[in-house]
Amino acid sequence: MRTYQRTFLRLTLLLALLVLPSAVVAADNGDCLGCHGDAETVGEQFQVNPVTFDTTAHAEIGCQECHASVTASHPDDGATPSKAVCQECHEAVSAEYAGSQHHEMAACNDCHNPHTARGATEVSGHDMNQQCAKCHGSLETALKHAEWLPQADLHLDMLPCISCHTASQDNVITLYIIKREDGSRFGDFNLASYAELKALAGDKSIESLIDRNEDNYISLTELRLFNLNPEITTLRLQGMITPETVTHDFRILENRWDCSFCHASGPAARQTSFVTLAQEDGSYRRIAAEKGAVLDALYGTPDFYMVGATRSKMLDYIGMVIIAGGMVMPIGHGTLRFLTRKNRQRKEEE
Amino acid sequence: MNSKHKIYLQPTPVRIWHWLNAFGIITLTATGAQIRFPEFISLFGSYKSAILLHNTAGLVVAASFSLWFFYYGLVARNMRKVYVPTKEDLQVGILRQAKFYFLTYFLGWKNPHHPTPENKFNPMQKSAYLAIMFVLMPLVALTGILLTNVSPLREFVILVGGLKILDAAHYLLACCLIAFLFTHVYLATLGKTAMAYIKPMWTGWEEEEPGEHPHHPA
Repeated sequence: MRTYQRTFLRLTLLLALLVLPSAVVAADNGDCLGCHGDAETVGEQFQVNPVTFDTTAHAEIGCQECHASVTASHPDDGATPSKAVCQECHEAVSAEYAGSQHHEMAACNDCHNPHTARGATEVSGHDMNQQCAKCHGSLETALKHAEWLPQADLHLDMLPCISCHTASQDNVITLYIIKREDGSRFGDFNLASYAELKALAGDKSIESLIDRNEDNYISLTELRLFNLNPEITTLRLQGMITPETVTHDFRILENRWDCSFCHASGPAARQTSFVTLAQEDGSYRRIAAEKGAVLDALYGTPDFYMVGATRSKMLDYIGMVIIAGGMVMPIGHGTLRFLTRKNRQRKEEE
Repeated sequence: MNSKHKIYLQPTPVRIWHWLNAFGIITLTATGAQIRFPEFISLFGSYKSAILLHNTAGLVVAASFSLWFFYYGLVARNMRKVYVPTKEDLQVGILRQAKFYFLTYFLGWKNPHHPTPENKFNPMQKSAYLAIMFVLMPLVALTGILLTNVSPLREFVILVGGLKILDAAHYLLACCLIAFLFTHVYLATLGKTAMAYIKPMWTGWEEEEPGEHPHHPA
């Protein structure tokens, strides 16, 4: 009996020694990225940026969860590794997407790279639009919008496409730091990269450029100081309206033809805003801004103004006082005119 | 009929400009109110209609402003004489006119200003119109042009200090013009009859009774 048990144990150990290496290799992302992190080794097509990938939710579940057929002898075995079907994990999103007009035009991978995919609040609005621009970035798209949309170019710059073309909800105002091209006085503004912000921040964190006391909250005073800081005139804040809850029901929503869907929402709807900064790993980190920051009259968000929706109450009142001032003459003079009418008639008759 | 003396005070280009301007500014005021306060005002149906009408009326007013500038500056060549107050206007004339409007008018006295085609505005009018036509109107038009072309004119928007400054300037300038409008229309009714000063802006001719000197609204 003992001999039988010893033999079984030896066989089990032998089997474990044979099987374990492949399991260990596949379970460790680092082993895969050792080759796939380098474009020269595997070619650009199969390269995965280790830094970017490491911060995605897909990295947490590991390479083998999606590429289950990879063996220890990959790539010498010549087998093409399997790829997971997105639907296996993202069942609800897939069902929603299947019902949309976009379904027949593009598969998940056409828009999303699973090795860089992040949550809606960890990517910039510009990144969101980059995905659409792969197919819809042409002049034709801009002209099509210009046929009915006033200042179409401005809308296309300031809104993620999904804000109007899906029923995505909970829109907030996200402020990004944009930077003028180096050494250029009138050059284009682009989203400021982590490296560019770090160069300006020096020893301090990039957040300190705007969140001066680094309390992870941006007050109106901090916003104003950032916008009026003469040392960083190459930086400006660009606002976009981004959804917190993203849906995949791509369609042309009827109520988005009506400008008042956004513009008549009133100041009460524009209270929540965030400042979002590029991070070293390519993601974006957002910091909450003081309630109603975008409603500040002048310097809170000098470049973000949604006509009809983000007006300053203080300016409203000043304007009303000016108009009321104009009524003083007709009302005051008119009253005296009425009271002295007999006096004037008498004088005329003389 | 013969006892009335007529004076040709408002040439045709000036009248065309004035009424284009008047209807344009009323349209701009009403559409502007809806654009700024859409949750309270919906005079023109959809928000987009209000914006398109506002932009069109803005262009009409800008075009009529150009007509005014072209006429006074290049055709009549009396812009300076008509609109720029003289030293005497500033030292004596404004006070004299203010005294009339706020005191002697109620006592039934005559207007101290006697208009001619070359000197049709009283000193208070000159000062007010100088500020309106050479400061307020150009600024409200320029800010409006920038606000309707934010993307193509972005560098100018940045130069001004941003969209918020631009919007605040456009709105407050417009409020100043609206405030003036109340005074303007009211003073236009201050003649012998309520229409006495309004009619000449339509026909060009102002009537004056013998021994009476007409004046004009501020």
